[in-house]
Parts: sequence; structure tokens; C-alpha cells
Amino acid sequence: MKTGLNHYLKTFILWELLIGLKLTGRYFFAKKITVQYPEEKTPQSYRFRGLHALRRYDNGEERCIACKLCEAVCPALAITIESEVHDDGSRRTTRYDIDLFKCIFCGFCEEACPVDSIVETRIFDYHFEKRGEQIMTKEKLLAIGDQHEAQIAADRELDAPYR
Amino acid sequence: MINIEIDGLKIEAQDGAMLIEAADEVGISIPRFCYHKKLSVAANCRMCLVDVEKAAKPLPACATPVTEGMKVFTQSQKAISAQKGVMEFLLINHPLDCPICDQGGECDLQDLAVGYGGGETRYSENKRVVKNKNIGSLIATDMTRCIHCTRCVRFGEEIAGVRELGAIGRGEHMEIGTYVASTISSELSGNMIDLCPVGALTSKPFRYSARNWEMQRHPSIAGHDCVGSNIDLDVRDNNIMRVVPRENEEINETWISDRDRFSYEGLNSKDRLTAPMIKQSGEWQRVSWDTALAFALNGVKELVGRHGAEHLGTLVSPSATLEEMYLLQKLVRGLGSSNIDHRVRQLDFSDQNRAPAFPYLGQSIESLGQSDAVLLVGANITKDQPILGHRVRQAALFGAKVMCVNSVDYKVNMPLAEKLITDVAGMEAALAGILKALLNMNKIAAPSGIDQLLHSVSISATHEKMAANLSKASHGSVLLGLSAASHPAYSTLYALAECIAELSGAKLGSLSLGANSAGAWLSGAVPHRTADSASSNQTSAGLNAIQMFTAPRKGYFLFGIEPEFDSVDPVVTTQSLKDAEFVVAFSSYASTVLSDVANVFLPISPYTETSGTFVNVEGRWQSFKGVVSPQEDTRPAWKILRVLGNLFELKGFDYMSSIEVRDELKKCLGDIKLSNKRAWLCPELSGNISEQIVEIPIYGADAITRRAVSLSITPDATGHTIVMN
Amino acid sequence: MANEICFRTLNHKEPWALSTYQSLGGYEQWKRILKKKTPPQEIINELKESALRGRGGAGFPTGLKWSFMPRNVEGQKYIVCNSDEGEPGTFKDRDILRYNPHALIEGMAIAGYTIGANVGYNYIRGEFREPYTRFENALKEARAAGLLGKNILGSGVDFELHSQLGAGAYICGEETALLESLEGKKGQPRFKPPFPASYGLYGKPTTINNTETLASVPMILEKGGKWFHELGKPNNGGTKLFSVSGHVQKPGNYEVGMGTPFSELLKLAGGVREGRRLKAVIPGGSSTPILPADVMMDVTMDYDALSKAGSMLGAGSVIVMDDSTCMVKALARIAHFYFEESCGQCTPCREGTGWLSRVIHRIEHGEGKSTDLDMLVDVSKRIEGRTICALGDAAAMPVVSFIKHFRDEFQYHIDHKRCMVSA
Repeated sequence: MKTGLNHYLKTFILWELLIGLKLTGRYFFAKKITVQYPEEKTPQSYRFRGLHALRRYDNGEERCIACKLCEAVCPALAITIESEVHDDGSRRTTRYDIDLFKCIFCGFCEEACPVDSIVETRIFDYHFEKRGEQIMTKEKLLAIGDQHEAQIAADRELDAPYR
Repeated sequence: MINIEIDGLKIEAQDGAMLIEAADEVGISIPRFCYHKKLSVAANCRMCLVDVEKAAKPLPACATPVTEGMKVFTQSQKAISAQKGVMEFLLINHPLDCPICDQGGECDLQDLAVGYGGGETRYSENKRVVKNKNIGSLIATDMTRCIHCTRCVRFGEEIAGVRELGAIGRGEHMEIGTYVASTISSELSGNMIDLCPVGALTSKPFRYSARNWEMQRHPSIAGHDCVGSNIDLDVRDNNIMRVVPRENEEINETWISDRDRFSYEGLNSKDRLTAPMIKQSGEWQRVSWDTALAFALNGVKELVGRHGAEHLGTLVSPSATLEEMYLLQKLVRGLGSSNIDHRVRQLDFSDQNRAPAFPYLGQSIESLGQSDAVLLVGANITKDQPILGHRVRQAALFGAKVMCVNSVDYKVNMPLAEKLITDVAGMEAALAGILKALLNMNKIAAPSGIDQLLHSVSISATHEKMAANLSKASHGSVLLGLSAASHPAYSTLYALAECIAELSGAKLGSLSLGANSAGAWLSGAVPHRTADSASSNQTSAGLNAIQMFTAPRKGYFLFGIEPEFDSVDPVVTTQSLKDAEFVVAFSSYASTVLSDVANVFLPISPYTETSGTFVNVEGRWQSFKGVVSPQEDTRPAWKILRVLGNLFELKGFDYMSSIEVRDELKKCLGDIKLSNKRAWLCPELSGNISEQIVEIPIYGADAITRRAVSLSITPDATGHTIVMN
Repeated sequence: MANEICFRTLNHKEPWALSTYQSLGGYEQWKRILKKKTPPQEIINELKESALRGRGGAGFPTGLKWSFMPRNVEGQKYIVCNSDEGEPGTFKDRDILRYNPHALIEGMAIAGYTIGANVGYNYIRGEFREPYTRFENALKEARAAGLLGKNILGSGVDFELHSQLGAGAYICGEETALLESLEGKKGQPRFKPPFPASYGLYGKPTTINNTETLASVPMILEKGGKWFHELGKPNNGGTKLFSVSGHVQKPGNYEVGMGTPFSELLKLAGGVREGRRLKAVIPGGSSTPILPADVMMDVTMDYDALSKAGSMLGAGSVIVMDDSTCMVKALARIAHFYFEESCGQCTPCREGTGWLSRVIHRIEHGEGKSTDLDMLVDVSKRIEGRTICALGDAAAMPVVSFIKHFRDEFQYHIDHKRCMVSA
């Protein structure tokens, strides 16, 4: 009987609504955690595994030696490499493709690389407009590497003690 | 047999066997680098040190003979610590360049380092660096990686028979090299690549092109000489990346010739024919298979209608598969022509009716190696059939008297007991001399007619020694080589050799051209015999490879033939082909001459892309499968021939697989007698013979090999000089 | 007692001449054997009684070695003399070749007769130009006197002797490497078994003995095995040439009886340099373990006593070091020698000697690490006993013994980056 009355009254004074609004109010005044992307960005670890890049040495020489360990370790079979003897007798790739539709960003390629050539950068916002664009060719990967070398090098530096 | 115990396992070992052999037999693996079952024991890597009961020091398993009651521990503390110690020593000066090393993934040192290597090095001094050597177009060197096991050195001395590599310098300064900078010239040199346990010697044509883990390995049969070496083809992305030997103790042991190993380069040659083509008003057009086949059909039908089937000539490469040859002869015989031949380098066909079922070695390849006297007649066995050359050489090293009667003084890699070099015309007299000496010595009744024949033949001391060596031998072999087969008086040479073999109790054998001359004879790719009666002759024989051009035909089928190379007289051959009305070329390549003479190109798959069978010189049928799919629009030739058979509305062309073709042929042939025996007929000495030497360049034997770039710049290919007698 | 066997002619005019040798009873034994056709077994028995042991370093009983030669096998056999004296500190064979070559020739002829070889080779160290010509001249003399050649002195016995100059590799002093070199191949030891007695020079049964061993043979046969034996100690018969070098007043060769106390030998050599104290001695050539002064002063110079003391008699090459010696530097020199002389055939020696040498060199130059000493011992242990020939052991043993006896000095080098001795 008593509970019935209570219920009746609460219905009248919109009690549940107030309860709900209490939560709203709490969040209304609380510190906001929403990130206003793209004006704001969340902080990233130096181990962030984003878009791939191929690096060069300071003298402009490609690091990649076509050992194919990344290709072998890739669990998604996303990497395709072809190699040959370079003019100077060194071992070089003629083709280095990563299919980003296949890639699962596990970072194994980076782990396997004996010369720190293939790396995953902090870049995560990119898009494709046409079929086939998801294939990251050697040229594209090198271009990314060239563009972000400072950041990449700094990140490797930070990670060095743990490797 | 000797009883020993390895790791608690009681086993019986051969008397005189080394520990490592006994262990290998029962599958107990002992790590090793320098030991190789086909080479002498060096015991220098020390990796196989094992713990033997009652021995104070660990003993090398490769050089310790088994003794009764011996107890061996391969996993004891003492053995393992010795092996780990050796591994550490090997690694201190070995570069850590596995990522760029072609041996990576199939490297003995890498594999064993996983088991016996330490996690980190204690060696903080400078590592040794050794300058690389340029030893030719086939083998790439990275000498810093060398661990001085000397397998390559021992291979050169013991197997290849040429001391080309040696260890120069002492101690840590020891280097493997040629001493005086030079290229490796052995025809078996590629085997050093397999032997090298590290990446010091790797394949130059294969360099940096693939990793061993990304290739699939398929068994096949080498298609370049009459040995039929067993090979494995390594395939990646539908491409043959390299060729390696497949062990077969009865044929090639663990070796293959450089020709078998490196000719794969020719498979992807630029002038590879990839689509059917027809020539209309002098212009080549790429067309569909239907068009091309209809074009060929009409052309041949018209020609046969106009001139009759006897105006059709067919040449087939001696390296075509058995199935291809069988179907081709079935097709042309179905059309009414028997003018088919594969003997493109032969001049003398006069005794073809008396020939054995196929050119037979007269014994097994294994047995050849146990000969104690070998007479080579017109044979450059070292270069033409390197694996057989190796067998003969092994026999020579075990004391066999190897003798040769040649018209060219070939360089051989074995000790020759006797050597007789004469001009082409003198070959007959040389053999006759040996025969006469043999008769004089043994006082045997001569076969009929011989006395008269040998009446005016004079004998020399060399003839006598050769005859004596042969008749003393309990296992003699007389081999007729490729230049004997190309000799203008081949039939006489054959008969004389036959008689010599018969009288001295030796085995007579022929070495034949291409991968499948034996198959050609059996399948009826000769003008006088069909597959139904492999050793009995047809009543009316067709024209042979020479007659076809001396009496030019109006139309030709060329199967895998390049007229400028695959003929005795390229000028006559090419001219006849040019003058012909219609030429159908089944070919894998479009060479200039072929484009010039042919009217239609039917692109056929080489042996790596089709299933088929090769019959080797000992009569062994070896079938294989295609390991990569046919390039673009090429097709396996047996399928093309089958369709053509249907189009010509011939009976019995309804095969579903090449196996059906082979089995039909096998049934036709019934039991093939492996024998060179035939009824005696006294030959005639021909006397005046043209001074023509038909020499087949070692790396020009077939269309694929001719296009192997790396082979074409080896000393064997480039060092050709004009031979004068 | 000194200088009466191998150096018998030493105090005479032109000691190397045939006339001098013959005037002292030389070649009498060879003539007697040729005349009487002494049974080989008799000669071997005499040698066994003399307890003559191989003077090249291993100390294997000579009589026993000769008895291993297959007696009843037909065919060519060889006697080879090892005059490739390359061990640092050893220079005794050089003086035998220089001053008493005929004793060697007679010894080899007798050896050849005993084992059934009618051809002998003397492999002389490449640097021994002068001894080589001396020996060649002696050979000429002997041939002219009819003591070598065919049908010697009408006895029906043939024996031809040739000398061969080496090319300067230490490893060719190892008997099987010597054989390889003699055959014209690269001097690399063979794996044993088979031993030279069954598969030696050109694959034929071969006996190889040291120069001093062979040169002792004529005297043993002249005076009897018992006499020779009594010059030394039981099981260590005869006299021995000791090449004393290093920090002594009178370095040189001393032929004294086996079992002579070291102190006496040192006295013969004039004692250590003025004002210095004995620090250590390498008793048998650079490959044998070093012994500190106190141990050395108590030992007698023979195979058994030195082996008990933890070293070896080796070739009797006594290297004396006084207290001015830096042990690290001494070891660095020895290690470098073995690094340079390793033949490179088998892994532990080829790679290990370089490693040892480099690390010791580094320690000497003050770049040592605290872990180096234990590592050196460990690496040495990994070489020892795992190689084809004894060069690996020879390279490893000095390292272990130097560190064992003088670890403090090595530690000082590592800790203070300078030498303790000069400090």
C-alpha cells in the first residue's frame, strides 16, 4: 500500500527524471574528456603502430637490404618483396609492397627488421579513394620515411633501452 | 658387422665404417661441417666431436672407425661442451650478415648455431675480413663467410678432377682461392654451391633473387643430356628460381652438371614464344590457338593434297619428351609420312636397320663406374655427359685403365692409360688396329670377313696396349660418344667397336644426343621403325634427317628444332626450309632463322611446364610433372598434338593425360630387351672420308641451354678454338 | 760426463769432418752391422735396454717405435729425421748438424737398416742454411767413403740419404705435417690414426725420429744399452742436450745426463744474470707449461720428474726468466707465435690462437677486462685436446700455466693498466 502511494507521488513530481538529470548535471560540471579531433589529438606512445615507412641512412642510402624477414614473419601475408643485385653489388629490393587491407598492424615486421628499415609511424589518419591505393609501394613508404624521419628516429631512441 | 652402442642404442655397423656413418644410418644426428659422404674425410671442422668411452679426449665421429663394443655418447656433457666450444670458435670470425646472405635459411652454420651457439659473444676483438674472389659467372663468393671446411677444395680434387680451389696461407690468414686469379672451369662446379655449408660460395645467377623459404621444391628430371639426372626445381611465383640435385645413388649420386643446374636461365629468355603466331604475307601475327591450329591444318592438308604425304618431312629434337615424340610420329604416320627423324647430328645411317632398340649404355650407370678398363671412342665424355664422365673418372681413380680414340684431343679430368688422337679419317684405322692387336694377342677365331678387312691394317704399340688392357679387364666398357655418332663412317666405327667389345669381353655402349634419344628410338621417331615394333624395321623406311634435305620436301614439321644449330649442314637445311611451301614450327623460342622459315608457330612448353617422360641411356623411364604453369599462351606439346590429331580426324587421339600416352606406348613396346647384341655383319672400311668434324658445343646442345646467359660466358662456352688435325 | 754422446767430436779440430768422426770410432757400428748382418731385433733390444726416449718432445721410447714398423711387409719403407727444429728456445739439433753431422748419418743408416728402409730423408728447418750445407757436405763425404749408396762396402745393403730444406713453417716440425711437406704438399698435419708406421711418406710405412735421438744411436750400440741407460735415470736413459737460454750468464747447449738437477744445469750455464733472482723457467720449450722458481729449483731434468712437477721435458729447451721479466709480455709473445704458426686446418686452433693472442695483447697494453682471465683459461680449455695435432695444446698450455702461476701479475695489468714488474 505504502509503496504504491510512494510510486504515485514520484510519478507526479517526475522523480526519475530528476535522478537522471542528476547524472547529467554531474557530467555537465565534470572535467571534459572528449577530444576535439582534429583540432585536438590524444597523446601517442612512441611505440604507436600506425602507417608504415621505409627509412634511409643519413647519406640517403636505403636501409632495406631485402632480407625478406618481414615478409616471412608477416602473419597477414601483407608484404611482397622482390630483390636483385644492385649496381654496386649490394642486395636491394626492386619491389616492396604492403597491402594495408591485409595488414593487421601487429608490428612484427618492425621487430624482425635487422636494420630498422621498415617501421610503423605515428600516422593513423589516412584514407584511400581508389582501389589499389591501399598498396603502399616502396616509393610511397620511402616518402613517408623521409618526411617523418625526425620523429621516427626520436621514437627509436626512446625505445632503444628496451630492445 | 660390428656391434656398437650410440647413446644407449645398440646398433650394427659396417666393418670399417666411420662413427658418423653408423650414426647417420640409424638417424642419430651428429653436427658436422667438413664431413660429406661423397668426399674424403678431413676431420678439420671438429664439430662432430663425440664422447667415446675409454677415450680421454672427445673424438671426431667422421674420422673414428667403429670398433667392436664401442660405446659412444653424442649428448654427454663432454660431447656437447666440445661441440659448443667449436661452434663458438667458428662464430667468432663469421660475419653476422645472415640477412643479406643467400644461404640464410638453408645454412648449416645457421641451423647448428641455433643448437650449439651461445646467446651472446665473448669475442670483442676485430673480426677477420677476406677479399672476395671472382671465380666466374656461375659462383658468387663471399669469402669472409668461409669456415675453411675445405669441402670445395676436396670436391675439386676428388670429384671434378681439376684442382682449381685451394687453401692459401696459414692459420687465421688461410684463404680459399684460386692462387692465380682465374675462373672455375669444371663442368661440375655448381656442386660446390651445394657443398659449401655456409654462404661463402653461392649461385651467381640466383644471387639475391629469392629466399629458400619462399620457394616450393618439385622433383623433375634434367633434360639436357642422356643421363637423366634427378633434379629438384625450386619455384616461386610460377617461376623456376633455381635447380638443385635430387639424390639418386643409381644415376647422379648427389651431383648434377652445370648445364643441368644453370640452364634454367634460358626458360625466361626474351625470345621465348608465348603465343601462337601465323605468317601472312611475310608478317607475323599473334593469333588465337583456334586460328593457328586451323591455319596449320589447312596448310598441311593443302600440301598433302597437292604433293602427297611423302612430301612431308618431320624433325624432332632429341630432347623432346617420350609422349611428344610418340604423338608426333603417330600424327605424321597417320598422315601417311614416315619421314621423321631425331638424329639431327648424324651423317651415316647405313646400318640403321640393324641397330638395337635404342642407343644403350650396355650396362647401368652405376656399373659403368665399376669398370676396370674403359675405351672411349669419339667421346668427350667429361663435357658432354659430365655425370658419366664422373663415373668413368671414379673408375680411373680406382685403377681402371681409361683409354680414348678421338679425332680431337679433348681435355679430360682423369688419368688416361692410353690416348690415340687421329684425324677423322683415321678413326676407322685406329679401331681396326686395336681389333687386329686383339686378334693377334688372343689367337681367337676372327668373325667372318674380318681377316680380309684387317689385312692391310698396321698395328702400333698403342693399339697393342689398348687391346691388352681391354682383354685383361674383367669389366671392360667400350663407349661410343657423340662425335663417333656424328662420324661419316659411324656404322663402321660401331661395328669395329662392337667387335672389339665382343672379343675382349667388354660391354659395348653408346652415348646419345639430347635427353631422350633412347625415347626417340623407342617411340618411333625414326624413319624406319614404329613404336609397335621397336626393334623390327618397317618395310619401306622414310627419309632420315639428312635425306629430308638433300631431297628437299615441300613441307616440314619442326619440333623443338633450331635449324641453324640442330643440323649437320645448317646452310642446306635452312635453304630447304626456306624453299618449302609450308613449315609448321613447334617451338618454345622464336629465333630469327626459325621466324624466317616457318609459316606457323605453335608455342610448346619446355620440360619444366609439361608432364612427360625421358628415357635415359641405361633405358630407365623417368616421368615427371610440369612444375610451373605454361607461360602465357604456350601449351604442353602433347596436348597440341592430341588436338591436331583430332583436327586431322585421325584415330586414337583421345588421350586425357600424358600418362595415358606413355602407358599406350609401353603396352605397344611390351618387354624391351636391354641389349646391344645384334647379328654379326662384317663392316667395310670406307677409306675416303671428308674431314668434317661435327662438334657440339657443350652449352649449345639444346634450345634452352643456348639461352642460358651465365653458361654462355663460362670458359667452356667461350674458350672455343678451331680444331685442326 | 758432459758432451760425450751427440757432441762427442766437439772439442776436436773440425768436429764435423769425416776424419774426425772416424778417428773417434765413428761408423764402426755401421760397418759392424753391415759385416755381421746383425738381426734388427738385436738392435731394437739394445735400444729398449738403453731406455732412449724420443728427444723431439713427446718422449716416446725409440726402441718401441722402431718395433712398430711392419716387419714382414714387402715394399718401400722410409726413415725420416725431423731436423725441423722450430720450437722457440730449442737449438740443439742445429748444433748436431753443425758439429757432428756424421753421428746423425750413421744413426739414420742404422735406423734404416733396422726398420728395413733403404731411403732416408732428413728434413731440415728452412732457416738452417749453414747446418744444411754442413750436412750436405757430410753426406758427400759419406757417399765418397762408400758408407752410403748401393751395396755399401760390398754388404749387399743399400741405403740412400737425402736432406731437404723446409720452407719455414713451425707446423712442419709435427711429424705428419713434415711428411706432407716432404711430399711437396702444404704442411698440414694428418689425422691420426693411421700412424706413419703404417701410412707415412707417400703412403708407405715410415719411422720419424728426432735428430738427437738418431744421433745417439751409434754410441748406444758402441757402448751398450746398459751403459747409456746408466748415464741417466731408470726409464729416462742416457744424456740429453739441454738448450739453455734466457737470463743466464752462459746460454748454450749442455749435454748432461738425464735426471741432472736443474740447479746444477743452471750452474753450468753460469747462473742467472748478476744481481737478479730466478723468477720462472719454461723447462721444455715454449709450448710446455711454465714453472715458478721455487718448484724448478727442486726438480731434476728428466721426463718423469718434470711431468710430476706439472710441466714437460719437451725438447729440453730451458728458458730461464729472472725477476725483470714481465710475465704478461712473455705470454703475449708466446701466444703471438702460436697464432702466427697455426696451420689453419682445424677450427679450435685456427680461431682460438688468434683469440688468445689478441686478448693477451690487449691485457698487456692496459685494455684488459676483469672477465678476461677466466675467459682465457676457458678458451684454452676449449682448444686443448680438440685439435688434429698437438699445436692446439701447445698454444693452450702456456696460457693456462702462466695464468695459474702468475695470476696476480695479469690482474695487476688489468687493474692498473701497467706492468707490475717495471712499477
